[in-house]
Amino acid sequence: MSERLSVLLLDDEPIVGRRLGPALAKIGCNVEAFEDPKKALKRIDQKTFDVVVTDIRMGEIDGMQVLDRVRSKSPRTKVILITGYAMMELAREAMEKGAFDFISKPFKANDLRQVVAKAARALGASVDLEKAANFSQ
Amino acid sequence: MSIIIISSDSYEKGEEIAHNAARALDYACLDRELLAVVAARYGIPQDRLEWALESSPSSWGRSARLQDRCLAYMQSTTLGELLKDNTVCHGLAAHLYVVGISHALRVRILAEPVELAREISGEGEVPPERAPRFIDRQRKLRQHWSLTHYQLDETDPSQYDLVISLSQIHTDEAIKIIAQTAGYRRFAPMTYSLRCIKDAELASRVRAGLLEAYPKVKVRAEGGTVIVETQGSRRNKLKKAAAIKEEVQAMEGVDYVEVHIKNGLFKRAP
Repeated sequence: MSERLSVLLLDDEPIVGRRLGPALAKIGCNVEAFEDPKKALKRIDQKTFDVVVTDIRMGEIDGMQVLDRVRSKSPRTKVILITGYAMMELAREAMEKGAFDFISKPFKANDLRQVVAKAARALGASVDLEKAANFSQ
Repeated sequence: MSIIIISSDSYEKGEEIAHNAARALDYACLDRELLAVVAARYGIPQDRLEWALESSPSSWGRSARLQDRCLAYMQSTTLGELLKDNTVCHGLAAHLYVVGISHALRVRILAEPVELAREISGEGEVPPERAPRFIDRQRKLRQHWSLTHYQLDETDPSQYDLVISLSQIHTDEAIKIIAQTAGYRRFAPMTYSLRCIKDAELASRVRAGLLEAYPKVKVRAEGGTVIVETQGSRRNKLKKAAAIKEEVQAMEGVDYVEVHIKNGLFKRAP
């Protein structure tokens, strides 16, 4: 694993990447943001990320499929699912398929930073949450 | 890693399995000993709390309101305890208000019928041919009680993740099954489920705080936002909303309060 935590961020709403990308970069993550799931999957095939953060509902390809692809390619990669349509059944399915965490929208940028920090710890790495202390949400 | 809620048609069997499952998993066990805490916190005699849990729903105004309050106080305290993981909970009706929380494994234990009839009748041995009558009467009572207070039928197996019949499975086997099921990843806590239980706890704590003054109050919470709905006349609507807002705003964990007063002189709030 490189010094900086590599994170792939996928959400078909451009605002999410624009907002969360810098929020994660602020704690030292190396973030690649995608709006198109096909392009994101192509990138996942090329590179092994430490953390993948993906929306669930994205039309043609959903977050569960992204989860499956990541898990089959790199079981050590931590996948964090985010959704505005959270339900108990979906949350349980995601965890059973190997998601690291499941977050319902809306959430604060700091909530995601906390989860990414937890993922980093699980990978034996760390991110500096202090760096983001003055980050305006 | 998770919460296990045990519900049973037999209090004795539910209690035995809850305690043994907690021991097997090294979890805490939450049971009716918590009623002493509820009684002290809200100044309600403990026997009143037990009465609220066991008795048929009262149709008398004062008595029904007291029963509602007792259950709300118990719910709030129980949810506060369940914010901690690794807990087995039994005998506090949690299966009726810990709903939609993915890291809560909800288990229903069905006792062996003749043993259950003996427990219900309190008469010692019950001839097998008389058992169904006792059990049916008890089932109807619990169905009515749970539907009245929580709009859920606790005797409906579809309310649970796991249903175990002690006619077919021994108690020690049931404990192993529960422990194994609780280890499935789908019952692991996650940010979403922890937020759900936090919201449920906040809503129930706010409702418990308001119920004496506003018996018809309904409360929802999302994050630190609390939405309160109650009834009032047009004349005192603003005054009532301001009073509720002030009271709720001072409660721990509340960031923002929204109050909706519905005209309640002739119509019940939905």
